[in-house]
Amino acid sequence: MPENSSLYLAATIELERAVTWLTEANAQRRAPDRLLMPALFLRAVTHGLRDVPELNAPTTDDHGRLTGAVHLGVVVMKRTGASVVAVLPDAERRSVDDLMKVLRELVRRARSDQLRVADLREPTFTVTNLGSLGVQAVFPSIGPSLVGAVGFGKVVEQPTAAGGVVVCGPVVTATLAADHTVGSHRGARFLATIDRVLQRPEAL
Amino acid sequence: MNRQQVREVVLHLLHEIVPEAPVHEVPKDADLCDTLLLDSLDFLNFVVAVHDTFHVDVPQADYPELMTLGGCVDYLTRPYERRP
Repeated sequence: MPENSSLYLAATIELERAVTWLTEANAQRRAPDRLLMPALFLRAVTHGLRDVPELNAPTTDDHGRLTGAVHLGVVVMKRTGASVVAVLPDAERRSVDDLMKVLRELVRRARSDQLRVADLREPTFTVTNLGSLGVQAVFPSIGPSLVGAVGFGKVVEQPTAAGGVVVCGPVVTATLAADHTVGSHRGARFLATIDRVLQRPEAL
Repeated sequence: MNRQQVREVVLHLLHEIVPEAPVHEVPKDADLCDTLLLDSLDFLNFVVAVHDTFHVDVPQADYPELMTLGGCVDYLTRPYERRP
């Protein structure tokens, strides 16, 4: 485990409903409108940050007033092995569809070295999704001047027990890294919110 | 468009997604995602590029047919071959 003054909390989140909803939604959609799980994760993160705003680094407007804006830094792995944090601005105001489109474009630009200056602005929170590398849990590091970061691992099939019955279904491990001043209680609430909203994907 | 033309356009679209990969050296029956290290976002970007370029909306059920270069050429040549 990393040794610093950060707090690390992990939760296993069942994705049966989210996967089913995605499959059904995408069957009705044209390719440019299709969704992928990372867009649901990003939307869930904005819900989590709304419930626990202490995790989002504060931003101010031109008059020095707090804005509450969420600029999500998305860690994009390039094929060379290097990674870049590309920023998805004002994520708290975006729908799942909008987040998906912006994410798809951002990743395309990052991997073809076409990022714009605005894509490299300062994020207020970062998200790492290493599922495609086969990693089950990610322990993210907190960027300079940030308060927290969340990592999502690979979506895997795993048995879970509910009501005395063992069932197999897709799950993901979400790991929160936060400055210790945030406290375990708030950190746990952030992960609980992500879990809760992913159980109702149609309402995301 | 004949098979050779379709193949060139597909390679161009892949090159735009993975500029640093030697797309022209990909064997026609190799898995594109494994060979070019495409993740789900890259693959969706490829399907969207196919949609925008060939005006073909590939349903998710047909994704397996696009997993190789040869499969892409077969799939995308079909509409042209059907024409009289």
